[in-house]
Amino acid sequence: MQIKNLAVRARLRSPWESIDLGIALARKHWLPMFLVWLLPAALLLGALAWVFPGHPGWSMFAIWWLKPVFDRLPLFMISRALFGTPVSALAALKEFFKHNRTDWLAWITIRRLSATRSFDMPVTVLEQSKGSARSARLSVLHRKHSGAATWLTLTGIHLESFLLIAAFILIYLFIPEQVAANIDWAPLLRGETLALEWVSNVLCVLIMAAVAPFYIVSGFCLYIGRRIELEGWDIEIQFRDLAERHQRSLQASKSAAGRSSPLASVLLLCALACTTLAPAPQAQAESLENPQQAQQRIDEVLAGEDFHNIEQVSGWRLKDLGEEEQEKIPEWLIELFEWLFKWFTGDPPENEDSSEINWGALIAKPIELLLWIAVIAGLIYLGWRHREAILSSLRWQHTPKKKVEVPETLFGLDVRQSSLPDDVCAEVLRLWQAGEQRTGLGLLYRATLSHLIEDFHFHFGDHLTESECAQLVSRRHRTADDTLRPVSAPLSQFVQQLTGSWQQLAYAHRPPADPQVSELCQQWQEVFGNDH
Amino acid sequence: MLDTTYNVETPEGIDLRARVAGPVPRILAFAVDVFYRTLILAALGIGLAFAKTAGMGIWLVCSFLLEWFYPVFFEVLRGGQTPGKKAFGLMVVNDNLTPISWGASIVRNLLRFADFLPFAYATGIIAMTLGRNFQRLGDLAAGTLVVYRDTEKVPMALPDAAPLPPPRDFKQQDQLALISLLERHEDLSEARQQELANLLEPITAKRDSAALEYLRSVGSWLLGGRG
Repeated sequence: MQIKNLAVRARLRSPWESIDLGIALARKHWLPMFLVWLLPAALLLGALAWVFPGHPGWSMFAIWWLKPVFDRLPLFMISRALFGTPVSALAALKEFFKHNRTDWLAWITIRRLSATRSFDMPVTVLEQSKGSARSARLSVLHRKHSGAATWLTLTGIHLESFLLIAAFILIYLFIPEQVAANIDWAPLLRGETLALEWVSNVLCVLIMAAVAPFYIVSGFCLYIGRRIELEGWDIEIQFRDLAERHQRSLQASKSAAGRSSPLASVLLLCALACTTLAPAPQAQAESLENPQQAQQRIDEVLAGEDFHNIEQVSGWRLKDLGEEEQEKIPEWLIELFEWLFKWFTGDPPENEDSSEINWGALIAKPIELLLWIAVIAGLIYLGWRHREAILSSLRWQHTPKKKVEVPETLFGLDVRQSSLPDDVCAEVLRLWQAGEQRTGLGLLYRATLSHLIEDFHFHFGDHLTESECAQLVSRRHRTADDTLRPVSAPLSQFVQQLTGSWQQLAYAHRPPADPQVSELCQQWQEVFGNDH
Repeated sequence: MLDTTYNVETPEGIDLRARVAGPVPRILAFAVDVFYRTLILAALGIGLAFAKTAGMGIWLVCSFLLEWFYPVFFEVLRGGQTPGKKAFGLMVVNDNLTPISWGASIVRNLLRFADFLPFAYATGIIAMTLGRNFQRLGDLAAGTLVVYRDTEKVPMALPDAAPLPPPRDFKQQDQLALISLLERHEDLSEARQQELANLLEPITAKRDSAALEYLRSVGSWLLGGRG
C-alpha cells in the first residue's frame, strides 16, 4: 500500500463527504465491480432455480443473505484501484475463494445483519484482522463514523427496494392500455405465478448488483476517510512531496554548480576586474566555499529579523460612511416616508390621549392609500394606452397639416373650376333665356361654390346643407380671421341671396324673376370678376 | 485526483470552491423534510377535523402548498436550507455559487415531478448518482447545486511551542499541512506524529521528538504566533 499513489485527494472529510466520494469513485469503476458482483450471484441463482424450481422466494432470500460473500471481490478491486494498481474483473474472479477465507462464517451468520457492514468489511478483507484485534480496531474506527455507516446501510436497503418497485412500475407503464385492462391480477395476488417470480428474482439480483458497488465503495471510502483522519495521510503525502522536492532542488543546484563552475570563474574574474577598476562601495562579500554554504547563509538571512518584520498599527479613524449613505437615500424619499408615516398615524398627540386604538381608521387608511395608488396607476395606464393620440395632439403644430381634400362635387353639382365655362355670366344668361332655368342658375351657384372653395379656401364637407354653407360664409364675414382670406360684405350678401334663389328653384321649382337673375349675374361679376 | 469539490472562477480571478453533496445525505435530508411535512399535515388534519368537508378542502390546499412550496420557501428565504438540509449541513446554491433565486428554486422544485418518475424519485437518484456534480434533473434544469455549508471552526487548544519562522521554500500547501499537523495533535498518536515529522528529516535535520517540536514551532509561527 503506497499512500502516495492514492487515486483520490487526501483531505479531512466529514463522514457524509466520504460517502459522496465513494459514490464518485464507484461511478468511475462501476462496470467491473458490477460484473464481479453479478456473476457469482447469477450462478448461484441459476443453480438454485435448477435445484429448487418451486421456491423462488427462498432462493432470493438465500442470495440476499449471502451478500457479504459477493461484496468481498468488488471491495478488493476498489482497494487496488484506489492505490493505483487496478485488477481486472477476471483476475479478481479467480481469487473469489481466497478473499472469502477470512471470517466467512461470522459474516454470514452473526454479522449478517450488522448495520455497518460495508464500513467494517475492509477491516476483515484488507487488514485480515480477526477476533480481539478486529474489535479493538473497530472501536477506534467506529468512534466518529458509525452513525453515517448505519445511515448508509439503511439508505441502501430502501434504495434497493424502491428501485425494484420503480422497475416494476416502469415495466407496467410500458404495457399498452388495452393489454393492461385484460390482465387477470388474481393469480398474481395468490402467488401462483412461478415464472413471474423467477423473472422478478432476476430483476432483483440485477438491481442488487447495480447498487452494491456504490454501497461497498461508500463504506470503503468511509473507512479510508477515517484512516486519513487517524493517520494523517494528507500530511504524510504533503510531507513526502515536500521532502522529494527538496531533494530534487538540492540535486539540481549541485549539478548546476558542477556544470557551470568554469564559466562562473571566468565571470567572477571579469567581475573582479570591473570592481577593482571602480572604487567598490564597501563590498562585504564574505568568502563562501561552496553553494551549500551560500544556500545556508541565504536561508539564515531570510529567516532573520529583516525579513520578518511585522508592524501592527492600530488607531481610530473616521470612515466616510456618511456621504455614501446620503447618496443612497435621497432626501425627498426620506421626507416622503416621513410624510406617509405621519399621514398613517394621524396626529400623534391626539392618538396618545385616546387609549384605545381606532381600528377602523387604521384599516381604512391603507385601503385609501391603495385606492389612490390604483387611481394613479389607472391614469398612468390610460396615458400609456393612448400615448400616441395624446402625443400627436400635443405636437399638432409640428406635424405637417393633412392636406384637406377639395371636394369635386357638392349637392350633386360639379364644383371643379375646370368644369366651368370661361365666361360664367354670359353662359348663365344664355341658358336662362333659352329656358333652361335650372341649369343656368345651377351653373351660377356651382361657379360661386367653386370660387369660394378655391379662392377663399372654404371647407365644405359632404355633411353641410346649402344654407349651412351660406352661414359659414357670413360667419367669416363677421369674425375676420388672419389666416384665411376675409369675406367682404357684398360677397356675403350675394351668397345669401344666391343660395336662397337656388333653394327656391331647386326644391320648390319657383324660378326667380328675370331681372333678379341678371342682377345676381352682375353681382357675381363684381364679387368674383376681379379674380380673373 | 478524484474529489467531490466544485470550483468556480469569478471574473476577478478568485477561485471559489464548494463541496457538492451526494445522493446519500440528500436522500436523508429529504426524508427529514418529509417527516416534518407529515407532522405538519397530521396536526392540520386533526385541527381541521371539526370543520368536516370545508376542513378537508383547506387541508388539501395546505398539503398542495406544502408539497410544492415548502422547499421553495426555505430555499429562497432561509439561505438555501430546508430544515432537513439544515440538519445535514447542506444548502442549495446556483451553480456559480451565488444564493439561489426565486426562479431557479421554483424550477428545481417543480421538476421534482420528473425526478419522481416512475416511483420514489428513481430518476432523480440515478441522475444524481451518475452526474458529475450530483445534480438531479431539477438541478440541471435550474442550474443549481446542493453543497455542504462550511461550518465555523471552533478555537482549539494548541501545544506550547515557541514560534519559529519556516524554511524558505515552503509552499502554501506545505504550510497548510504543517498547520494541520499542529491542529490535530490530539487526534494523531504521538508516535505517528513523530513518524510524520521524520519524513522531513532532509529539511529539518532533526529526528523524532526534536523534529516534531521544531515542526510545531513552525506551525505556531504560521498561525500567527511571534515569540
